[in-house]
Amino acid sequence: MDASLIELSNVGVQYPNGVWAVDHISLRIFKNDLVGFIGPNGAGKTTLISVILGLIRPTSGAVTLFGESISTKNLRRVGYVPQVLESTISGFPATVFETVMFGRVPHAGLLRPFTKNDIGKTEEALKLLEISELRNRKLGQLSGGQLQRVLVAKALAGEPEILILDEPTSGADIHSRTEFYTLLADLNRDRGIAIVLSSHDVDSVTKLASKVVCINRTLFYYGPKSGFTNGILAKTYGYPMKVIDDSHT
Amino acid sequence: MTIPTLDAFFTMMAQGFIQRAFVIGIIVALMSSILSVFIVLKRISLIGDGLAHTAFGGLALGYYLGFLPLWVAGGIVILGSIGITKAMRSKVSGDAAVAVFLELGLASGIFLLSLARGYGINLESLLFGSILLVTFEQMLYALLVLGLTFAFVLVFYKELAYSTFDEVQARAAGIRTWFFDYSVGVFAGIAIIVSIPIVGVLLISALLVLPALTSVQISKSLRQTVLLSPVFGLLSVVLGLIASVITDTASGATIVLVGLAIFIVTLAVTRRGKRRVSPH
Repeated sequence: MDASLIELSNVGVQYPNGVWAVDHISLRIFKNDLVGFIGPNGAGKTTLISVILGLIRPTSGAVTLFGESISTKNLRRVGYVPQVLESTISGFPATVFETVMFGRVPHAGLLRPFTKNDIGKTEEALKLLEISELRNRKLGQLSGGQLQRVLVAKALAGEPEILILDEPTSGADIHSRTEFYTLLADLNRDRGIAIVLSSHDVDSVTKLASKVVCINRTLFYYGPKSGFTNGILAKTYGYPMKVIDDSHT
Repeated sequence: MTIPTLDAFFTMMAQGFIQRAFVIGIIVALMSSILSVFIVLKRISLIGDGLAHTAFGGLALGYYLGFLPLWVAGGIVILGSIGITKAMRSKVSGDAAVAVFLELGLASGIFLLSLARGYGINLESLLFGSILLVTFEQMLYALLVLGLTFAFVLVFYKELAYSTFDEVQARAAGIRTWFFDYSVGVFAGIAIIVSIPIVGVLLISALLVLPALTSVQISKSLRQTVLLSPVFGLLSVVLGLIASVITDTASGATIVLVGLAIFIVTLAVTRRGKRRVSPH
């Protein structure tokens, strides 16, 4: 079996007030996986992502990235796309090109200007996300969907082996969402990038993902999509729910 | 107010203390406007106010102890900047953290100055700045701080810009954002200490905000914002000092008013430009 890219072993995160945000989470994510994190509000999806990215230290358990403990070096191999907060990002005076170029910062090194390679990777990411024509626009002049593409391009400019997306489509219309999910599927299939996608959009995520992580403070299910049932979903959310299969439409 | 003749103006400008004021003014303008970009974009604009008042407390302590007031204030401001940054990073509201240090500095400053009454302290020049206070030694310190500020921004520009854009994304990319948060705070504190003689405690924070605020209005990129900010800082200080010499008014207040006027004019011009291109 391949070595895992991400491994969580019995991870738990406790708030200062004693409540456990997540507990007893164990899972392994491999190359080429497209994993969907689903669960209700406050289930601990973002906490778990923060643990994987080294933003939060787990209270219990262990996390490894590429078989090693989290470090500056192996975080360079991970791309992160947060929820788009237009209100905070749009006030920043950077252009689209400058923002996507941030994805190259961990690779560039101190005292060294960006190289031709860095510029090339930035151009490539702009092209891939079809936002080359927006390169000189300031972030404040973009729509929510365009901002989302800029953040994905920034993550891809860093040539990640894993792409972690936290609620990337919240607030986007159905057309942008569909386009976005198609893009993720292409990146996973054509470039072999492992994708971790956290979303409230249960129907789309379960349709897109090859594996599903269903959490609500603790792990209710982790495995291939084929083993995921409406019963597990209902148990996780605490009320009857069912995934709408719209594959025939 | 009597406006001097041109001859009188040039005679005044030939005075050594006025020339020193211009030199330190230019140094302070460059230093504060480079930092202002990161302070404004990090949304910690009030940090200058908090640190300036902490510096006031530090200077008062130095005067009261009769021991190197500027160095005592420098030490206290550096501790204050670390305290404010630590409070902000530990999820205490930024405003609240600044307010605590501001009140602490102001109250202890007034308390100590009232104890030290008669020790020959010029409270007015401390609060409002005075070109008469500038010494050659202060100019050298300011130049050293400008050099350090410039080197810091040059060496870490990419990392600093990324962590200013979004601290969480930068941390997730493996960048040690805590280093940049603390460094910006400490550099702002040091800049305040060397700027107090020219602008004074009450108005120094304006120099740490206005240049970048003006620059953001008209620049088309982050790079332009960083390059234009020192231009606006220089304009405010040089024009402000000239106006202060002509009108014989407090240098600090005049510089800040000129800076505000430049900001308002820039804002009005850019808003007008935006309305023109808008289809509605």
